[in-house]
Amino acid sequence: MESTGNRTRTLEQVMHIVFLATATASIISVILISVFIFMTGIPTMAEIGLGEFLLGRNWFPRHTPAQFGIFPMIISSIYVTIGAIVLGVPLGLLTAIFLARFCPKNIYRLIKPAVELMAGIPSVVYGFFGMMVIVPLIRDVFRGLGFATTGFSMLAAIILLGIMILPTIIGLSEAAIAVVPRSYYEGAVALGASHERATMSIVVPAAKSGIFASIILGIGRAIGETMAVIMVAGGQSIMPENILSGVRTMTMNIVMEMGYAAGLHRDSLIATGAVLFVFILLINIAFNLIKRKVR
Amino acid sequence: MRRKLMILLALVAALSLFLVACGGNDADATEADATDATVTEADATEGDAGEEDTDVAGGEGLTGPISVVTREDGSGTRGAFVEIVGVEDADGNDATVGTAIVGNGTDQVMTSVMGTPDAIGYISLGSLNDTVKALKIDGVDATDELIKEGSYPIARPFNVATKGEVSELAQDFLNFIMSKQGQEIVAEGYISVDDAAADYAAAEGLSGNIQVGGSTSVSPLMEKLAEEYMTLNPDVTIDIQSTGSTAGMTGAIDGVLDIGMASRELTDEEAAELEGLVIARDGIAVIVNNDNPLDDISMENVKQIFLGELINWEDVK
Repeated sequence: MESTGNRTRTLEQVMHIVFLATATASIISVILISVFIFMTGIPTMAEIGLGEFLLGRNWFPRHTPAQFGIFPMIISSIYVTIGAIVLGVPLGLLTAIFLARFCPKNIYRLIKPAVELMAGIPSVVYGFFGMMVIVPLIRDVFRGLGFATTGFSMLAAIILLGIMILPTIIGLSEAAIAVVPRSYYEGAVALGASHERATMSIVVPAAKSGIFASIILGIGRAIGETMAVIMVAGGQSIMPENILSGVRTMTMNIVMEMGYAAGLHRDSLIATGAVLFVFILLINIAFNLIKRKVR
Repeated sequence: MRRKLMILLALVAALSLFLVACGGNDADATEADATDATVTEADATEGDAGEEDTDVAGGEGLTGPISVVTREDGSGTRGAFVEIVGVEDADGNDATVGTAIVGNGTDQVMTSVMGTPDAIGYISLGSLNDTVKALKIDGVDATDELIKEGSYPIARPFNVATKGEVSELAQDFLNFIMSKQGQEIVAEGYISVDDAAADYAAAEGLSGNIQVGGSTSVSPLMEKLAEEYMTLNPDVTIDIQSTGSTAGMTGAIDGVLDIGMASRELTDEEAAELEGLVIARDGIAVIVNNDNPLDDISMENVKQIFLGELINWEDVK
């Protein structure tokens, strides 16, 4: 009896340690990444000059003298992300509500796999689609309306990213709405609400936390997306004039130049990564604050 | 009832797909009507382009803003183009206009120019194909013979670079490239540098792996050379990465690559650490969309377009 007890206890302790180790592994990776990025990024920003780096509008890393201003890239990343959210969140959220509460079973069987398939399509394929379809479409439509554009523009990036974050938002929001207790809905209907009223006013707000999570993930994907955006955004490293101007986001800048950057140029790209990191942190904090206030 | 709904949805989806495709065609048609260039004129001159000196600039040419397409900063093609054409500011820095679309690699430039009717760009002459049109510079065609003569001005060397002690295998590959067989392969699409090269004799039992990387312009040539070399030496594998000239030089300096490729001269910093070897010469073709009626452009105009001083097609002479 005693020996069996010991064995079980040891096994318990061993498994305890195993689980603790795996959890620590993920925390350690995040810490290692942050340490590497900030250890290189912060001294570089100090060397270039924080104001010059973050607010400078001239990006000429291979000129003599070199200039490292990433303000156009920061602005482009912000605009493109906001645009993608404005396009993707309403579309995704309403689709999720439809799928969860209004969709007939046999149509659901068509749409749900299609959405899941969208999530699996590689970014390069999206980029290629954007370059072959969205860019010429924008060029032809807006030239016809009298605006000068090459099609490779912020708008193309926004449309493409809006489409790309749809599966993320739809998937998570639909799951969140589906797990709202049936009693909420039935209570509302019992009090006289119509199906639509009950869903929109009671069920959806109850799924707020999950919906917010899906939006954060969507923003994260939009701000971090690189391959698709590289093929449609144009790559100009100057301040965008309007939504039809070509742009270069921070992620594009890193990918386009990392292969051949050396010395201070390479370090400035790592510093750009640090700025991206900070952005994601800020977005997460902001959303956590909003969630807490709304509750 | 449900089945009818599904059929209806399917029809709506199919219909919307058709509308999108038709919408694109309609927009193209209206754009062609709106610009001054008549489509029939363009078709006629395209047919004549190969045969005679049709001076198409002037009233019959393309109008509207020029969409400039350039390469990424570390591109050897860009470096060579900027230096030869003179797209530089007073300090000798690259002064390509800020609104130029940046294509990553030869293929992206070609795709951008192919899909944008008023685009202009530049690519390796060896990569030129039917999807885009090469312009004559000051009346001189972009062909290998005219480059060899010296009449076509925009040409640059293809360099391979190695660092320090070269492995026996890599050295043998380089010997192959500079041999008669290697230079024959070069001459097929580019300009060979040694017309009286010696024969290559494959040594017995060579095996191993060679990492080659760098210029996207040199890559197609390098792939042909590697294929032939691997046929002669079946136990050897050669991996080629197309990352851009400066990335290739950086990779060679860092020791990541055995052989780096550049489509330009080595810079002073690079030459300090690497041994360069010229394996071929290649022209840089200035390309426009196939629907652009322009055939001939002056070097001065090319410079002004890429500096951003010349903005509209109608001002091109």
